[in-house]
Amino acid sequence: MKKKLMSVLLAAAMVASLTACGSGNLPPAPAAEDVAEQATDAPAADVAEAEATPTNADTNILRINLASEPDYLDPALNSSVDGGCLAVNSFAGLYTYDESGALIPDLADGMPEVSADGTTYTVKMIDSVWSNGDPLTAQDFVYSWNRVIDEATAADYAYLFDVFVAKSDGTLAVETPDDHTLVMQLQAPCPYFNDLLAFPTFFPVHQASVEAANPDGDVPGKWAQEAGFVCNGAYTLQEWNHDESMVYVKNPNYHAADTVTMDELHFMLSADDTAIYAAYNSGDVDYIDTLPNDEIASLNGINPEFGILPQLGTYYVCFNVNDPMFDGKTEEEAANMRKAMSYLIDRQFIVENIGQTGQEAADAFIPAGMSDGNGGEFKAGVSYYDATKTGADMVEDAKALLEQAGYSFTDNGDGTYTVDPAINMTYLTNDGTGHIKIAESIQQDFEALGIKIEIKSEDWNVFLEDRKNGNFTVAREGWIADYNDPINMLEIFASESGNNDAQLGKGTPVSSSPKWDEYDKMIDEIRYDTDLAHRVETMHKAEDMLMNTGAIIPIYYYNDVYMQKSNVSGIYATVFGMKYFMHAVKN
Amino acid sequence: MAKYIFKRVLLAIVSIIIVSAITFFVMNAIPGGPFNKEKATSAQAQKVLEERYNLDKPVPEQYVLYMNNLLHGDWGVSLHSGRDIWGEISSRFSVSARLGGMAAAVAIVLGLILGALAALTRNRLPDRAIVFFTTLGTAMPSFVLATLLLLVFCLKLKLVPVWSSSNPNYVLPIIALSVYPMAYITRLTKTSMLDALNQDYVRTAKAKGVPNWKVIFKHALRNALIPVITYVGPMVAYILTGSMVVENIFTIGGLGSSFVTSITNRDYTMIMATTIFLAILMVIANLLTDIAYKFVDPRITFD
Repeated sequence: MKKKLMSVLLAAAMVASLTACGSGNLPPAPAAEDVAEQATDAPAADVAEAEATPTNADTNILRINLASEPDYLDPALNSSVDGGCLAVNSFAGLYTYDESGALIPDLADGMPEVSADGTTYTVKMIDSVWSNGDPLTAQDFVYSWNRVIDEATAADYAYLFDVFVAKSDGTLAVETPDDHTLVMQLQAPCPYFNDLLAFPTFFPVHQASVEAANPDGDVPGKWAQEAGFVCNGAYTLQEWNHDESMVYVKNPNYHAADTVTMDELHFMLSADDTAIYAAYNSGDVDYIDTLPNDEIASLNGINPEFGILPQLGTYYVCFNVNDPMFDGKTEEEAANMRKAMSYLIDRQFIVENIGQTGQEAADAFIPAGMSDGNGGEFKAGVSYYDATKTGADMVEDAKALLEQAGYSFTDNGDGTYTVDPAINMTYLTNDGTGHIKIAESIQQDFEALGIKIEIKSEDWNVFLEDRKNGNFTVAREGWIADYNDPINMLEIFASESGNNDAQLGKGTPVSSSPKWDEYDKMIDEIRYDTDLAHRVETMHKAEDMLMNTGAIIPIYYYNDVYMQKSNVSGIYATVFGMKYFMHAVKN
Repeated sequence: MAKYIFKRVLLAIVSIIIVSAITFFVMNAIPGGPFNKEKATSAQAQKVLEERYNLDKPVPEQYVLYMNNLLHGDWGVSLHSGRDIWGEISSRFSVSARLGGMAAAVAIVLGLILGALAALTRNRLPDRAIVFFTTLGTAMPSFVLATLLLLVFCLKLKLVPVWSSSNPNYVLPIIALSVYPMAYITRLTKTSMLDALNQDYVRTAKAKGVPNWKVIFKHALRNALIPVITYVGPMVAYILTGSMVVENIFTIGGLGSSFVTSITNRDYTMIMATTIFLAILMVIANLLTDIAYKFVDPRITFD
């Protein structure tokens, strides 16, 4: 209500000087931003014309907005993408990425030496120091990594270290024959291990600082709660006004300080897209990656400062396989019901009219562009239906599937049908205009066969809990990959996974709940397979099995938008959303 | 007087305890939890965190533990960011209070002047203009006003930056915060001033030949202050604790947004701290209001 009033008032105020706004909405991409997005998404205070927006003349300072204040700057505790971006610019790990997205050594001296069986990695390190001048050694890595997996740290990303062999005392099998060598034992060959070594959770932290700030260990992130903490990357945090700004300055002790072209990074800490967009348009900020939904249509393809980055992730809809709606059906009948509903969704309409940033309609769960861990693209040749044709063109296919599941239809004479017995269900989503528009679009698509859905929008926190506990029939979902391997997305649905919202293999099953032991077995096999070609095969089988349940309805593959001033260049990002600013140039 | 204040302080402590108890139990009753994330926290980590923050214990026991820590000056740490709650509240409050203090001062001073002016020029041009603008001021929600200020002063006139890491500008947020209370105080002052101007003692003073300014300030305005003070007390407590809307639009790290985000995040310690903090401020404001009555109107007694 408030938002509506706001729109009306602002429209009246701006009508004299501004061009018309589009009315579309972008379903927000990454996880961490979802909460923030609810705060305010009023229309932006200004509309950019196709000509360049004003720039500022401080060529040694890059001003950026990524999000509001991150919860943790400690790379071990951070689990947000924006926090990860801050980490890659202020910490250095063994590896990093260059402008082309290729993995290159950072603190490592060359690529790792891998044993013939693929389970022993040896990495030599270059000489480097912390920002306070202390030498940085292989032992720092051992300490930092064991700290992540320590229960008392309670790190969200501790599971990334499951690939290591654990010693009898619970620590990781990582040895340091000398100060500049790390020898790591893995449980099985891990095709994405080098990527992990470039991931923020694998960055080193300064042991003396961590322990001095919090000797009891009950507040693990305390050492990085204020500016001035010790790090080892391109920048150090000099000033931090909470929820206002952060000033990062070049770290003279960074081993590659001579390659850092930008002296200072100033971050605007805000999640208010009106304020962010206004700051960009006034020339106070040079780079933003949050945009008001209503502005996208007027920028995409029109303003050269607007850009789209690929991302590895899937927006999807998920059924609760244990829902009473599927009780009394056989496993196959329930799967057919869900697949029928998947066929009814007009994905092309959603990406063109709601997504609006050129997202690709999804025809499989694993997104396009994801590597298969054996030198190829996993999705090549995989398609479970024609994603450009779902919706109106597949109503008859959907009807046939539902008939097999025991439903009958009467033709209403206007191209629609009435289903018997009636199908009524509730679609669960969180607040957020984009999510609700997608829900409404699906609601309309289902009308073709007389299936009724009611849209229920919940507070973010309650939504997460209901989804996790299976208190829903069908709900919106999304997943952005943490590393470039399908296992990161397939393991969501292992029965012991905390992210298995579809309740596959868990909870209180109904007559049609899929038998899931085989899937769990495949996930285990994938994790420890030594034959990489066979591993790819198993992953395809697992995706087939998942898609065959119909419980997962992929809608589109995520991408990410940004705006960058015409006088700025040299900023690059990885498909995981990490953005590197140290090589930026401003004219 | 001392006895009265002592009694009020005791009463205040009781109200704060009641407020804290209600908040604690309601907050635990609403669905959701502090460790819910899109990518689920592992069961093991969740267990460690729950134990660390006593969340594995029954709610009444948690409340007793919490209040006991509070009595020892320990506000705990944020369940969301691990930050020390007291540090967080005090640093954010110092920002909000600086802004809010200036906004409250502007609102009170201008409100009184404009209100008195409107009463004295009743039905003439200044009065009409003041009534028009105060109606606008009370009708316009702060998020509309704040966005309009941003649009006009930052984007069109380019007088101040939207955001700056070096010198944040407080002028626009102060305007956004003060317009509503100022308009409200103007209207209150005008009404009670008109009332006072018609009183016998004002007529008597005038008849005795007391100078006009003295009649207005000493006799009329002073007596017109009572309803204004009643409003100003709690208003100051609210304005000092910040406004989420204004803070978000002008990128200010104040306390106002913590009230809302702590609830969205189910950050229990932060919810408790913000609520208790506001309750304390409110109780102080009310006490000061009551004492102020006595100074303005000696007829009021504390018995």
